[in-house]
Amino acid sequence: MSTIAETGSRRQTRSSMRVDGWRWAGRIFLLLMLLYTAVPMIWMLITSIKSGFAATQFPPQWWPDEPTLASYRKLLDPQNSVGQDFLRFFWNSLFVSTATTILSVIVAVPAAYAFSRFTFPGRNFLFFAVLLRNMFPAVIFLVPLFILMRAIGLVNTHGSLILTYLTFGLPLAIWLLKGFYDNIPVQLEQAARIDGATRFQAFIMIVMPLSTPGIIATAIYSFIGAWNEYIYAYTFLSKNDQLTLPVGIQRFFSENTTDFPGLMAASFMMSVPVVVLFLVLQRYFVRALTEGAVKH
Amino acid sequence: MAHVVLKDLVKTYGSFKAVNDVSLTVNDGEFVALVGPSGCGKTTTLNLVAGLTSITSGDIVIGDRVVNDLDPKDRDIAMVFQNYALYPQKSVYMNLAFPLQMRRLPRDEIDKKVKEAARVLDMTHLLERKPRELSGGQQQRVALGRALVRDPAVFLMDEPLSNLDAKLRVQMRSEIKRFHQDLKATIIYVTHDQLEAVTMADKMAVMNGGFLQQYDSPAQVFAHPVNMFVASFIGSPAMSLIPLEISTANGGTVLTSAEGWSLGLSPRNVQKVTKATTKKIVLGARHSTIKLHKSAVPGSIPAKVYTVEPTGDVTFVQAFLSGAIVNVSVPPNIAVTPDERIWLEFDQERMHLFDGETEMALEAS
Repeated sequence: MSTIAETGSRRQTRSSMRVDGWRWAGRIFLLLMLLYTAVPMIWMLITSIKSGFAATQFPPQWWPDEPTLASYRKLLDPQNSVGQDFLRFFWNSLFVSTATTILSVIVAVPAAYAFSRFTFPGRNFLFFAVLLRNMFPAVIFLVPLFILMRAIGLVNTHGSLILTYLTFGLPLAIWLLKGFYDNIPVQLEQAARIDGATRFQAFIMIVMPLSTPGIIATAIYSFIGAWNEYIYAYTFLSKNDQLTLPVGIQRFFSENTTDFPGLMAASFMMSVPVVVLFLVLQRYFVRALTEGAVKH
Repeated sequence: MAHVVLKDLVKTYGSFKAVNDVSLTVNDGEFVALVGPSGCGKTTTLNLVAGLTSITSGDIVIGDRVVNDLDPKDRDIAMVFQNYALYPQKSVYMNLAFPLQMRRLPRDEIDKKVKEAARVLDMTHLLERKPRELSGGQQQRVALGRALVRDPAVFLMDEPLSNLDAKLRVQMRSEIKRFHQDLKATIIYVTHDQLEAVTMADKMAVMNGGFLQQYDSPAQVFAHPVNMFVASFIGSPAMSLIPLEISTANGGTVLTSAEGWSLGLSPRNVQKVTKATTKKIVLGARHSTIKLHKSAVPGSIPAKVYTVEPTGDVTFVQAFLSGAIVNVSVPPNIAVTPDERIWLEFDQERMHLFDGETEMALEAS
């Protein structure tokens, strides 16, 4: 009896040791990944509070001798020409991204709902046609879209970017949201319609609240995509006062000698809205990605 | 409450006829079960009555109104769904209040009605919970309550018990039956479980392949199935159906099997088989109308035991007979073993005879 118990416990120890080994390997791997992703950002932050001279020193100062917020002050100062430009780029980016997000939600919600709930001729074809755009690298469409934008007189307007970003963002948004609507039992709407709601009321009062996480996730995707986009913004816009942040930062700081602390401060501030958005809404975001993966 | 009339109801999807010329009348206060195997058109029929699906042709009358083109909300119906369809983001209270809010009732009246429904269904303590915090049985009750608060003309129920476990199902079955008796409500109830239909309904509409097969009281359907489908679908274990042929022996009409034996018929049954359009006859017998003998007796037929299923108070014996499997019930004290040779005796009064070609029941006159 005791021998059996001993053998059992020994076997258990060995297997738990093996599990522990894997667990530690996993932890070390995660730690390395963390360093890999976090160190550049930390370095960006540290550089942004250095003076211009300290930033280019070798060997580098791991922590600046004289930390300074001068770069930030300069960027956020509306009196300063650098600050004027930066703030204008920031607002341009915010405008383009927000407009893209709002429009893509407005279009994607009814589109996804229709794909999920209605059967109509060409439904499958249309649904895959929506994805066709995402099967090619974005750059392929650069020249055709530029020619198109020139033809309709949208070059050098934010409208050209908003339209372009919608063509990237919408397919994904529609797919994501359709998955959400597929997961909401159609009986809920039927129950609402029997309980006295019109079809539209059933959608607004029952389906919409349930799909909020999906809509938020979709909105974040669209926003981040538009906020970070570089190539199209670089191609379609040439007037200084219209540039968005990714292009603006690059143009501004590499004209003569590069002001590295300034560049890093600007980069940091550019990432702030995305990070804040993500932190506030990540709960919904994660749920959206896993929703529909399994049947509950 | 109101009566419901379906007149020549048809629903087609492309070339597929889901509901085929269904006509039936549900009287005021009647409990009618639509029963049939999956895909028989029973749920589609219910959705047509609810207005969730548009009809291809025919008429639906609720009360005295033709409701063909009315929205579900204007038909004065309430529905209980198989998956309950409770609004997950709303509390039980708000779930019950929703149909009343949509009808713009004053707030204090809504409150009164919701609390009354909660009291009747014994779930006052659950009012503040969300549906996901409830057990399956409680969710079922809320779904029932949401139909109840409205005081509708007709209750529609789409397999409301099939998501519950066996014990709860039996309990809810009697609750719904009681609820019908107390309210004198008109109920149309869809189920694939013939036992639910038989135990609860005043009348049952047996459907198959989009067609209404038989519409009558459960007792009538059980005793006089109109065709082989109804005969085999209603009753558990299923009625045994044995393919035989008419022939004459010693001047009388008998049914003979390919196995060589023949079965004499009572005068009444002889009358029935003469109505057949073909020589092929199918003999139908329920398990309780067949006697099992351990040795040959006059009029009995030899068979071989296939399986023995004791259930406690009755033992079901399955036997091979003329290529068909025959269900026989015997008292538990009779020992039968698989592959044993037995003799079966059919009750002439209670046997069913079907035309082998048309599959319709044969009647004496």
